[in-house]
Amino acid sequence: MELSDANLQTLTEYLKKTLDPDPAIRRPGYSLTAEKFLESVEGSQNYPLLLLTLLEKSQENVIKVCASVTFKNYIKRNWRIVEDEPNKICESDRIAIKANIVPLMLSSPEQIQKQLSDAISIIGREDFPQKWPDLLTEMVNRFQSGDFHVINGVLRTAHSLFKRYRHEFKSNELWTEIKLVLDAFALPLTNLFKATIELCSTHANDASALKVLFSSLILIAKLFYSLNFQDLPEFFEDNMETWMTNFHSLLTLDNKLLQTDDEEEAGLLELLKSQICDNAALYAQKYDEEFQPYLPRFVTAIWNLLVTTGQEVKYDLLVSNAIQFLASVCERPHYKHLFEDQNTLTSICEKVIVPNMEFRAADEEAFEDNSEEYIRRDLEGSDIDTRRRAACDLVRGLCKFFEGPVTGIFSGYVNSMLQEYAKNPSVNWKHKDAAIYLVTSLASKAQTQKHGITQANELVNLTEFFVNHIQPDLKSATVNEFPVLKADGIKYIMIFRNQVPKEQLLVSIPLLINHLQAESIVVHTYAAHALERLFTMRGTNNATLITAAEMAPFVEVLLTNLFKALTLPGSSENEYIMKAIMRSFSLLQESIIPYIPSVITQLTQKLLAVSKNPSKPHFNHYMFESICLSIRITCKANPEAVGSFEEALFLVFTEILQNDVQEFIPYVFQVMSLLLEMHKNEIPSSYMALFPHLLQPVLWERTGNIPPLVRLLQAYLERGASTIASAAADKIPGLLGVFQKLIASKANDHQGFYLLNSIIEHMPPESVDQYRKQIFILLFQRLQNSKTTKFIKSFLVFINLYCVRYGALALQEIFDSIQPKMFGMVLEKIIIPEIQKVSGQVEKKICAVGITKILTECPPMMDTEYTKLWIPLLQALIGLFELPEDDTIPDEEHFIDIEDTPGYQTAFSQLAFAGKKEHDPVGQMVNNPRIHLAQSLHKLSTACPGRVLSMLSTSLNAEALQYLQGYLQAASVSLL
Amino acid sequence: VRKHGQHMKLFKNKGKDTTTLRRQRVEVSVELRKAKKDEQILKRRNISIHVKEENPSLGQDRADEIIQPSLEEIVEAVNGNDTQLQLLATQATRKILSRHKDPPISQIIELGIIPRMVEFLGCADNAALQFEAAWALTNIASGTSEHTRAVVEGGAIPAFISLLSSPHMHICEQSVWALGNIAGDGPLYRDALIARDVIRPLLALVSPATPVGFLRNITWTLSNLCRNKNPCPPLDAVQKILPVLIILLQHEDKDVISDSCWAVSYLTDGCNDRIQIVVDTGILPRLVELMDSPDLIVMTPALRAVGNVVTGTDQQTQEAIDAGVLTVLPRLLRHTKPVIQKEAAWALSNIAAGPCQQIQQIITCGLLPPLVEVLDKGDFKAQKEAVWVVANFTTGGTVDQVVELVRSGVLKPLLNLLLAKDSKTILIILDTISNLFKAAEKVGETEKLCLLVEELDGLEKIEELQHHENDMVYRAALNIIEKYFSGEENLDLEPQTGEDGLYDFSVKKQDFNF
Repeated sequence: MELSDANLQTLTEYLKKTLDPDPAIRRPGYSLTAEKFLESVEGSQNYPLLLLTLLEKSQENVIKVCASVTFKNYIKRNWRIVEDEPNKICESDRIAIKANIVPLMLSSPEQIQKQLSDAISIIGREDFPQKWPDLLTEMVNRFQSGDFHVINGVLRTAHSLFKRYRHEFKSNELWTEIKLVLDAFALPLTNLFKATIELCSTHANDASALKVLFSSLILIAKLFYSLNFQDLPEFFEDNMETWMTNFHSLLTLDNKLLQTDDEEEAGLLELLKSQICDNAALYAQKYDEEFQPYLPRFVTAIWNLLVTTGQEVKYDLLVSNAIQFLASVCERPHYKHLFEDQNTLTSICEKVIVPNMEFRAADEEAFEDNSEEYIRRDLEGSDIDTRRRAACDLVRGLCKFFEGPVTGIFSGYVNSMLQEYAKNPSVNWKHKDAAIYLVTSLASKAQTQKHGITQANELVNLTEFFVNHIQPDLKSATVNEFPVLKADGIKYIMIFRNQVPKEQLLVSIPLLINHLQAESIVVHTYAAHALERLFTMRGTNNATLITAAEMAPFVEVLLTNLFKALTLPGSSENEYIMKAIMRSFSLLQESIIPYIPSVITQLTQKLLAVSKNPSKPHFNHYMFESICLSIRITCKANPEAVGSFEEALFLVFTEILQNDVQEFIPYVFQVMSLLLEMHKNEIPSSYMALFPHLLQPVLWERTGNIPPLVRLLQAYLERGASTIASAAADKIPGLLGVFQKLIASKANDHQGFYLLNSIIEHMPPESVDQYRKQIFILLFQRLQNSKTTKFIKSFLVFINLYCVRYGALALQEIFDSIQPKMFGMVLEKIIIPEIQKVSGQVEKKICAVGITKILTECPPMMDTEYTKLWIPLLQALIGLFELPEDDTIPDEEHFIDIEDTPGYQTAFSQLAFAGKKEHDPVGQMVNNPRIHLAQSLHKLSTACPGRVLSMLSTSLNAEALQYLQGYLQAASVSLL
Repeated sequence: VRKHGQHMKLFKNKGKDTTTLRRQRVEVSVELRKAKKDEQILKRRNISIHVKEENPSLGQDRADEIIQPSLEEIVEAVNGNDTQLQLLATQATRKILSRHKDPPISQIIELGIIPRMVEFLGCADNAALQFEAAWALTNIASGTSEHTRAVVEGGAIPAFISLLSSPHMHICEQSVWALGNIAGDGPLYRDALIARDVIRPLLALVSPATPVGFLRNITWTLSNLCRNKNPCPPLDAVQKILPVLIILLQHEDKDVISDSCWAVSYLTDGCNDRIQIVVDTGILPRLVELMDSPDLIVMTPALRAVGNVVTGTDQQTQEAIDAGVLTVLPRLLRHTKPVIQKEAAWALSNIAAGPCQQIQQIITCGLLPPLVEVLDKGDFKAQKEAVWVVANFTTGGTVDQVVELVRSGVLKPLLNLLLAKDSKTILIILDTISNLFKAAEKVGETEKLCLLVEELDGLEKIEELQHHENDMVYRAALNIIEKYFSGEENLDLEPQTGEDGLYDFSVKKQDFNF
């Protein structure tokens, strides 16, 4: 493309079209649309220069802006030169862009300046400094222009170029660049800083000039942060006096002209001071040795700042930054003296902490109108940037050295605030809120979601406060009065549940149940959450602290109120309530049975409603858990009841499956597995009708379906193997097809083995005869092509299970029928060297019994070339028995190795209460596998006297022999 | 100071090869900070007048009596034949170069008089001229590399080396000084001196009778002959110098000891073979003793030297441990000087990179409490090194040792440092936390550790780091959260009745799931 007027004209038209609201014109489509056209020409030489020309010279402002955005996106997509890929921008265009872009950016109006500034930093990321050596000089020269529009453009660009110094790892390359920047930039920046401050005082009465100047100061302060981040540069160490003195005086500066009317948005003054707090904090943390002389001044300035700053939201960031600075400094032993004085402490408590703990209008608004956000912040601790949180951190910081005095000072405040409240509760309720918050922050030293407060300040009497000030509020007959105080009280129970004695918790339970009816979302949510937390508490012997018996009087009202709470406005999918329902079921067990008919109806209706548009994953999860619990608890007492659950649930399940509600399908399979396992007799026909559908490949394509579907098929095989063999024999290949699909994947092969094990264990042998060889061939292929530890472990368990089920001879025969001497090869290359890797009680047992059979019930082991493997195999078996258990991961651990099964956790949520009983296929046959080995050897030695003993005495190692003698002794047998 | 690449190695080879955990002192070519005040000076200018006082007969200054000649006059006199004028001009040059502030070294070089000055060094019959020329050249050589080069290219090396055998002690001493400056310029000139056999006559100057001031100069020059890497000094030179250094380390003068320690620290700053040469002399116990010296100028290089030794093999590190380094380190970790804390923590980090027997000695010698103190309230530079100690400890330690570490209270300050303004430190801490979890898994304490991390406000910090700008930091944080903190609810869901076996499904799956 030439740089011609005609081309400029064409480009203008197409740019105009990209702004067209009609997507057919804008987006690539059937005809040559605007965006497609631009895409097609962007590889041409001069294209970027045409855009630059347009954004500079076009008559229409909208085209200028559009060209600048298009240009930036073009740079973003194409500037980087990727190895082995063609260079997408020709060299002469690159040179021309770099030569023109800075002056162009600086002379453009702000809207375009921003786009170009972004483009410069993208280019800079690739080319600066080596391939763009003049950039810095060019920028620095503009500092002298005196035009602050230009200067701010330069500063903004510099900021976007340098801000990466804040998070990149130290490296020679990075530091070389920083050094270069410092050499060219640090002195001019310092001079500019001084000059700008002077201008601020000469223009102290000119509001518009001040705004520009303060924007510069903010950018300068940000650049200071970036340039000082990696290490303290020599230049800034030498010029610390200049910078810190000026920063300090800016912190104390105020100018009415810079104050904004806006209550929400932080003004320039706040932004600048906030950045200065960050800069001081950076120096205090990293360069303490050099910064020490300045630090006390900053401490004083910052707390004065806090004392004089108002409650408006716009000051929040500044205030929380400033408090955090004090909090981090007051913990350091060598600055302890700055805070030690009683007057100082009192003034910090009184003027900094207490005011920032007050419940503000904005909090009240959130409490009422945005309760979800309020709960998230208040309950889940995502309040890191809030003033309350900062004040809390400061309290904890001060308590490190001054717990006694601070507690003393605050006790006075708490008392006076409570007195204020008592005088006129309806007006002064916020005083009590602050008092509770203060007590909470003072008392809590360590906290977890699971246990609430775990370490408390011993100087605060939590129970007394609870009885005198919390319970009365909750006992009040009107649950909807002073909702904030109600929420505070409930939260108090929740977090101090481990500090308050049990009898007080028991007194609170009916109060909490009562507050499930409160209209305020926060209040009834907190009540549900508090109950849920109390129900998980553990007493002695790891039993729940609160027992089902103690809850007996409240069962009905608890269940009623919980389900009613789900009908309150705003809480129809409240996860806290649903979780409390699940937890209540789990605690109350059989005492919920009378209510199950009504409960299951309500749960089913809920399920039906949310399946239209599942949006709350936690809510849904707990709902399914609750369903599982209902089934379990009921059917444990009355197995026949399973039918009524099926009746209630299958209609909804069918709808979920038919509508392919992907989020719910894995849950449905899990619930169905649970139901199916409850059946004691033959598999019901309703399940059999579904069986073919479960083998549909489309279901198996989704990772999240695999574990629950395998589980469900296993339940089918356990309960209905003979029915499948007789009534659905034609589906067996499909079933094995699933196995084949799973075995092909490294992530899912273990699931394939689960399925295969169930098939081998339960299907009548004749129904799978014709497929057996094929199965082994598949396994061997996988073994050959991609052998992984996980696969080997599963494989070993499977062949031993096969051996147990079909006999050792059958195993040897089928191996050797696939390939001569195959059996020996598998023994030698896989079983003997790898058997130690098998983990899990049941799995080890299966292997032990299988190997015992090979040793003692497989004639070719005694009289062919396989005989030489007999001792090594026995030795391996003894090793399996005796080598230290390496599977020390405790049962209750749930984490899944993410690297091995990518996306596993997100796709599949396992229902704990749909859990499956552990199945031991050799359980009845063999109780103690060591004794079983001894007995089997005894039998073998009886059949061929002398052989076994001579093999043992010539080649079994001494240690193994000793173990073996132990087994023989325990079994009271001896070898002949 | 460490190389970036070595850090990467640590992460990639974690647990595979403990020798890679040791972090040698590698000079980074780029430094943003001011030159360190605690380092030994490379080159020194003779600006003091103590020479004159100690040698009243020679080199006397009579500035008040002599009118300072102009530069032109100097050139003329130096190039002329009048020995008296030569002396005066040379002396004038020396005085210009000896003035306190901003000596005009480049200007003097531009006069082109260096070759003449070098000639004067050879005027054995005119000791005063020799001395003044030697002094002037010393000060020129004390400047930048370019300045030193001018002196060397003027032919000064052989001239100074032969002056080492001068009958006049003050000329000898001035030559030692000049040679020190030349050697301090870098490996190139250092080796040029060694090739000219500087060592033999230099060492010959060391005797019980050598005045202490002179001995200080010799020691300093010797240290410069041991200094610098790429390449390090020739092996045979090192072997010649070492026995003398060992003797000097026993001297009572702390400056002599200090520079001897610096010399040893340079010799140990390199590959393990070089460390071995020093270890073989049996000097480690003395160095460890000096680490505990009340004088900072002795303690600093002694610590440096021992710190270098423990970057070596497990056996070399063991020798340092046997020499008692672990009994001194607690005091140094609590030293008021941040730089000492930092160096001590660095040394400890390298010991912690060793086999678990050495880690056990760290525990036994009571290093954990001071380590926790450094992490908690040390200077940031020291904290960073302490983080490395913990990282290495958790990588190579046994489960019991790691449990002991956690018991000593390391977790709280470690988690607090997740707020550090340094991406690398944060990443190492996250890695360490992963190590702790791996250990916890082995003893079935995962849940307990989860709670502990949460209690100590670590969880929210790790959660915050999921928003970190640095990609590796963000991913490491995410990994920990996903692995250990996202499924916390399931731990709660243990059925109370128990007989239903609620965890069976998952347990079975886990056994297979690798």
